[in-house]
Amino acid sequence: MSYAVPGGRATSRLLTEERYVPADPQSPNKPLFTGSSQLLVARSHYYLPMSRQRQSVAERFRELLRHWKADVGPLSSATEMAMHPAYQQIIGLGNEAVPLLLRELKKEPDHWFWALKAITGVDPVEPIQRGRVKEMAGAWLRWGKEQELI
Amino acid sequence: MRHPIENYFPRLRVGDYQITSPESEAYNCIAWAAGQSDLWWEPDPFDLYFWPPEAPRNLTLGAYVKAFGVLGYVPSQNSDLEPGFEKVAIYTDLMGKPTHAARQLPSGNWTSKLGELEDIEHETLDCLSGSSYGSVALLLKRPIQQQTS
Repeated sequence: MSYAVPGGRATSRLLTEERYVPADPQSPNKPLFTGSSQLLVARSHYYLPMSRQRQSVAERFRELLRHWKADVGPLSSATEMAMHPAYQQIIGLGNEAVPLLLRELKKEPDHWFWALKAITGVDPVEPIQRGRVKEMAGAWLRWGKEQELI
Repeated sequence: MRHPIENYFPRLRVGDYQITSPESEAYNCIAWAAGQSDLWWEPDPFDLYFWPPEAPRNLTLGAYVKAFGVLGYVPSQNSDLEPGFEKVAIYTDLMGKPTHAARQLPSGNWTSKLGELEDIEHETLDCLSGSSYGSVALLLKRPIQQQTS
């Protein structure tokens, strides 16, 4: 379904927060724009500007990982580690970060459990494994294989 | 030559401490102070890590006192070496949030696990005070446990 801002000059208002309504309420399936693909492109730029598209998720992840590792060395709290801005930005990468986090866990067990649970909403770690970092990593890696993410 | 950990703890001086283990993410200072090197102890809100079920699951000094209380520790007046007792020091930041724990060795020196970094043996508690761990807020002690084999 195509949408447009009421009152015309839709393109100039595409980047506003205004609620979109069907172009023609009498015939909502009739597209307003013939070049509807342009609308999709404009929409994608709104949600992910070119300045952010230059870096792939994997590159961004590696950069954030470097910052995080450099800063958290002496911290004794994984909660504090998870509050680090770089860690929070890794969570912000969303589902695309999950395979990267799992690969990192496979390479070297570390405190990625908060991020994995926050992004996926699941926790495959059994209560008896809590605090046993290698076993926690193993539980997540098994989950990742089941989900065909690694 | 300065070891990288001295960047985090400017009061550590060569000769005042020695590194006693490799780096490890398997356990933290709280577990190490409690005598464990295969667990990460933390009262995290996500329920990810080990924390004694008898202790409140929050990042407060009271919760740490309860957790060590499960192991038989009670508050201590000082950090002096007392025959027959072992002691633990809890550090907090300026907000009173626990940041670190160190355990006294039979020699009177202290042993600390530094986050995911190494264990060190250090002569004083003050050498870890500063922006990373704050300062010692509480001392606990318990009778030395008999080794069973």
